[in-house]
Amino acid sequence: MAETVAARPVAAEQLAVRAPRWAVLGVLFGLLSVAAIALYGPIGVSTTYPRLIGAIMSALAPGAAASNPYITKVGGLLKPETMLVVGLLIGGFLARRLSGEGKAPAMERVHAEERTPARRYLNAFMGGVLIIFGARLAGGCTSGHIISGITQLAISGMLFAAGVFGAGMLTAKLMKGGN
Amino acid sequence: MALLYGLLVGVVMGVLLQRVRASSPGMILSNLRLQNLSIIKFMALTIAVGAVGAYALSLFMPMHFDIKPTYVLGVLGGGLVFGVGFGLGGYCPGTCVVGAGEGRKDALFAILGGIVGAIVFTFAYGALEPILFKPFDLGKITLASVLHLNPVVAAVGLAAVFIGAIALMPTERGAPPARDRG
Repeated sequence: MAETVAARPVAAEQLAVRAPRWAVLGVLFGLLSVAAIALYGPIGVSTTYPRLIGAIMSALAPGAAASNPYITKVGGLLKPETMLVVGLLIGGFLARRLSGEGKAPAMERVHAEERTPARRYLNAFMGGVLIIFGARLAGGCTSGHIISGITQLAISGMLFAAGVFGAGMLTAKLMKGGN
Repeated sequence: MALLYGLLVGVVMGVLLQRVRASSPGMILSNLRLQNLSIIKFMALTIAVGAVGAYALSLFMPMHFDIKPTYVLGVLGGGLVFGVGFGLGGYCPGTCVVGAGEGRKDALFAILGGIVGAIVFTFAYGALEPILFKPFDLGKITLASVLHLNPVVAAVGLAAVFIGAIALMPTERGAPPARDRG
């Protein structure tokens, strides 16, 4: 009995050395993306944001919502993608709670200029504006265009990824690190 | 049923993204600064496994593929705008929701920004459509359609290139990339 208990952590440790965490998680995420395409459709996140705006507008100003070409294009919130976004919130909560990592930091200082929390929050906010505006311009985000798009061999996903990593790496380089 | 599938896929995806630390802006910036490549490798491997898996499975069952059109100006321009926001905030539209679930306060600001970005885009779409969506629209093209290859063959080829690229990347140094504060 004592022997098996002792043997288990060693085996787990050896496996962890052989397969880094990103590799195990990458295989699992790849299988999950296949499962989504088999069950209902490719994973995607960013359309939910304008659908939320559409739902709010439909409640407050139905006429304006009905005459907005983009709101009619993206349609209502009753979609698997909306549920996926709800799932992301639950998944993040569960993973943090069950991992034993303790409380998540309120923020991480990722740029040298983020000397105050307010500056960090402003950068996160501005980043949020740009990622959703950019994703809607392109018709997808990291999930819909890069993961699902390239998985389906779409040229649009590859073009979007080139833009994202090109501009992302340049922005990260121009802004000094926060350590 | 599709709604339930969406929820389940979302929960598992949220757990995976948190475990790989994709919901940590510090980790994202370390990848964009090429100090740690684990998220880039994770994404490349996800795509390699997904492409081969999805097209191999399509030989045996109907799949819900949904190819996005390549309207060059909007897709590339949107990617560049997205990239600046990704580098600035360290979040993408999905990881900020995962981060919010974890209890990260800056993730809430990113979501708030996303809502503002969605409002701006909703009203700008009418003006942008004729300039950035309509011209240079190459349609729903894929690597297989452009190269006149069987999709399964193209998927295996793409997976081989991605896994080869991962193998050429340096291994991570052990130290965590960015200090948490907060």
